[in-house]
Parts: sequence; C-alpha cells; structure tokens
Amino acid sequence: MSLLFRFAVFIPVLFLIACVVVGQQHATAREVMQAAAGRTARWLIWAAVLLLMMTVADVAIIGW
Amino acid sequence: MATKNGIDPAKGLGWGTFLAGFVPGLLQYQLGQKSKAGLAFLSCFALFFAGWMIVGERLFYWALFAADDKGGLANGMVRFGMMTLPEVINLPANVLGSVLAFDGTPTGLRNQRNPRDFEHFAAWLTGASGMLAAFWAAQGHWHLRLRRDEKHLAEGAKPVASPALCAGLSWLVPGLGHAKAGQKDKGVLLCIAVATVFAFGLFFSGGHAVDRAQYSVWWIGQNLFGGGSLFASLVTGPWRTGATPIDLDLGIVLCTVAGLMNLVVMCDAYTVAERSLFPLGGAPANDDDSASSGKTAATEGAPTQSAAGEGTAGEDTAGEATA
Repeated sequence: MSLLFRFAVFIPVLFLIACVVVGQQHATAREVMQAAAGRTARWLIWAAVLLLMMTVADVAIIGW
Repeated sequence: MATKNGIDPAKGLGWGTFLAGFVPGLLQYQLGQKSKAGLAFLSCFALFFAGWMIVGERLFYWALFAADDKGGLANGMVRFGMMTLPEVINLPANVLGSVLAFDGTPTGLRNQRNPRDFEHFAAWLTGASGMLAAFWAAQGHWHLRLRRDEKHLAEGAKPVASPALCAGLSWLVPGLGHAKAGQKDKGVLLCIAVATVFAFGLFFSGGHAVDRAQYSVWWIGQNLFGGGSLFASLVTGPWRTGATPIDLDLGIVLCTVAGLMNLVVMCDAYTVAERSLFPLGGAPANDDDSASSGKTAATEGAPTQSAAGEGTAGEDTAGEATA
C-alpha cells in the first residue's frame, strides 16, 4: 500500500517537474503541457528501467 | 550560439562584476545610478537587520557547518557568516551581523540553540535580504551588459520588462515574472506546478517540512520559492510538533524540489525578458518535443518592445522567426 501511495505521488510530481523543465523551450501553456506529457512518459520508462536494475542487483547480491 | 545581434550570450562580464554583486548597490554605483545604489544597500540592510534583531546569533547556528570552539578554516568562515545561505549574498550585512552577534564561547554556542519567539518569520526576513541582494546584483549585471552590448541594438530598443524584476517576482509568486514578460498562460501553469508540489510537501509533512530551525540545510532549497517559505514561516512553521508525521521525509523532499523547480522558473523568467532584447540565432532547440512542434527555444521568447512601443504577447511572436 505504501509503495502504491508513493507511486501515486511520484507520477503527478514527475509531470509537474517536467512542465517546469520543458517550459524553458516553449512559450504557451498548451505546448508546455504537451511536451511535458511526452517527457513524463520518457522519464517513467527510465524510472522503470532503474527500478528493474535495482531489483536485479538486489536479488543477485542479497538473494530473493 | 550567438544572438541575432551577433553577441555571444555565454560571454560574461568577468569575476570582478560577479564578486561586486555580493555588495548590494556596488554595481549600481559603478553604473552611476547612485540613488538606486543607496536603495539597494539600504533595502538589503533593513531586511537583514529586521530579522537579525530577533534571531541574533541563532542565525549562524543555521549555517552549513556547525561552529565549535576548536578553530580552523570552516569554523572561521562560520564565525564571519560566510556559511549562512542565502544571507551570504548580502555579504556586508551578514558579516557585520555575525561580528556583532557571534559568541564562540561554549556558553555562546549553547545559546545559539535556544529557540526565539517569531524566529520563523525573522529567519525568512534575513533569507529574503540575501535573495534581494541577488536580484539587485542581477539588475546591475543586466545594465552593465546593456552598456557593453548597446552598440548592437536598435536605437531606443527596450526589453519587455526588467529581467531581474521578472526573476524577483517569480521568487515570490512562481510564473509572475513570465506574466510580466508577456507569457501569461505559461506563467499560470508554472505557478500551479511549483505551488502544487510545495503544497503536497506541506500536506504530507503535516506542515512541518519547512522549518529552518529544524531542517536548516533543506530550508536553503525550500526558500528558493520565497512565497511558499513566507507562507510556511507565518502559518505552518510555528505549529507545535506532536508525533513525527509518517511521511515527513517525503514532505521535506517535495518542498525542496518545489524550491529547486522555482529556481528554474526564475532563470527562465530572466531569460524570457532578456531574449526580448537579445533573441538567439535560429539554431533548432535540442529537444525532440520542440523540434516536432517546429519551433525553437531561441525564437519562443517574449516580445521586443521597440521604441515605437509595439509589444505583443510572446505566444503571438513565437513562430515569426523560426529557423
């Protein structure tokens, strides 16, 4: 449950951070939100890859 | 990448100008703006000492390093207020305040730990003096740059707004600087983004995430959103702490992330106003999203306010000079 809660916070916060980051390259709110959605999806994929790698390292080093 | 005027925007004004920015008003004095220089110096001093009168030596307990009675370089820097952020940007007031208040004896160091009444607001005031000094320095830097590069500009050309003012407004209310520079809807979106993350942080921590007395290093980042840290210092900071909220760590991190997001917003507000006068050349932005929209970062700035007084919103002019 706690992990789900953290994910529920993580995804919207990631989107809001993406709004600020890509906001430097766009002039209108609509463009910023469209670009931020794409950027959030890309960051989520990287976050999933990182999580997977950490899980694999965890299993390899500590064990299941 | 050069600007359309043929100026390299990465070319700075040197270390001398950078270091002069630590003395509020010195850059304005160099520019011959004597009344502004006096105003900068006095406003930063007044804000600092308004807070210092309440917190006194406790301010230096919130430095990056804790002082002790053993001496050494780090201890000496704490002793002269060089490790107190963001007050160190207002260097003369901070050094004077530390010389007047700092007591390095064991009793003095113990006194630093005693809470003061209204210390949350007082700590915000001293921090605000450092941020104000930074904005005065940015204003002086901008005018020095104008003086250096004015030969490349059309006669009477003006920026849509003062870049330093835009950055300063964004410190208090994220996005307000963008609104001032002509990007109103983007400013609203950035305000919602920063304020929401900050509000999440306060909510998850039960209002205890932004507390300089408890989490002084985190507070340095949180204070980059000045409006949020002011709210916290007046409303949530003085709340009594009962049991530690279960998600206090999450709240502290979120409030700090919001402050760091606002640092990006402040820099962008400065850049939007700056590029209204010094638009970049037409190289495409290094971003897939902007490439697909056919626009460049360089051309999406705010409008130029020419001598004829023409000024349009940034979004209206965004596509005009696409490469």
